Amino acid sequence: MIVAERKPIKQILEMIEPYSKVAVIGCRGCVAICSAGGDREVEILSAALRLARKNNGKPLETIEKTLVRQCDPEYLTPLAKLKDQVEAAISLACGVGVNLASDLYPDIKIYPGVNTTFYGANPALGKWEEMCRGCGDCILDLTGGICPIARCAKNLLNGPCGGSQNSRCEIDPDTPCVWQLIYDRLKARGELEKLAKIWAPKNWIPAGYGGPRKRERPDLEINNKSKHSGGVK
Amino acid sequence: MDKIKITILCCHYTNEATEEDFADIPAEIELKRYPCSGRIEVVDILKALEQGAEAVLVAGCENGTCHNRTGSTRAEKKVELAREILSEIDMDPQKVNMTFVPRLDSGALVAAVKETFEKLLRIKEAA
Repeated sequence: MIVAERKPIKQILEMIEPYSKVAVIGCRGCVAICSAGGDREVEILSAALRLARKNNGKPLETIEKTLVRQCDPEYLTPLAKLKDQVEAAISLACGVGVNLASDLYPDIKIYPGVNTTFYGANPALGKWEEMCRGCGDCILDLTGGICPIARCAKNLLNGPCGGSQNSRCEIDPDTPCVWQLIYDRLKARGELEKLAKIWAPKNWIPAGYGGPRKRERPDLEINNKSKHSGGVK
Repeated sequence: MDKIKITILCCHYTNEATEEDFADIPAEIELKRYPCSGRIEVVDILKALEQGAEAVLVAGCENGTCHNRTGSTRAEKKVELAREILSEIDMDPQKVNMTFVPRLDSGALVAAVKETFEKLLRIKEAA
């Protein structure tokens, strides 16, 4: 999932300082699962903003709404009505949601309520860890399902580096050395020969070379009868 | 001068105290009951403050006595989170407190409310 974290409340208060009525819009997608922008966080942030503004003698009215997703135009349609009801909106979606909502509803001033941080897993309650960098050229088949791009502080493809000590990373001793993990995993799988092989240079073009990335599936487009199975451009 | 308002958010089964039990405390006491203190949310605490309470006391069962096993432990975490939020918006986090009281002992709850009231007076004097 995309992991996010609420911005400091004071930063959000600054964004909405000129307004007396704002919407706080949550998203029931990734940010709800990582407890940054779902229904509960919308309620809490709204109450905190109102309380802070009440204390400052400049009361704030809020409208609270949580959408199924904010990365999909069809679920953003409630914003059309909202634009006449509020002066601005705070979106608790990831950056994708804020971008799309702002593109589709430019009449509403939409401000981000969270910092979008990484693609991560939820290994235990209250913990999220980065597992993927979205580099577009996955090599997990070579590394036993462990990503050195996301999970090595130096993104090394030929680790471990000299700073790996007792299976721990020199940057953060609480983090296991990912190349030790890769070695151990491949050894357990009987696939150590993968490390002896000379890998072709990794293709970094899909990582973002050439601007924003797009994926197209013409066969999924409405009224398009092409049988082309699509791909990344 | 208006009386200080204190809101108590408590588990319905922890005690049977009524607002009359707090008559000796010179404050307006609001008592809100929940099916379990674990059901009390951060937003309930913030809304109580928004609605005029100067202090909020969350009351749950003593450790090991919650019908739902971990309700009061969950409530304690919510109190901690509410306090963090208050700090973020420059409010005194000590205005929100947690108390663990023996089941069906109203006296312990009344004592905790008195303590909250006195603490609030000290906070107000220091401000």
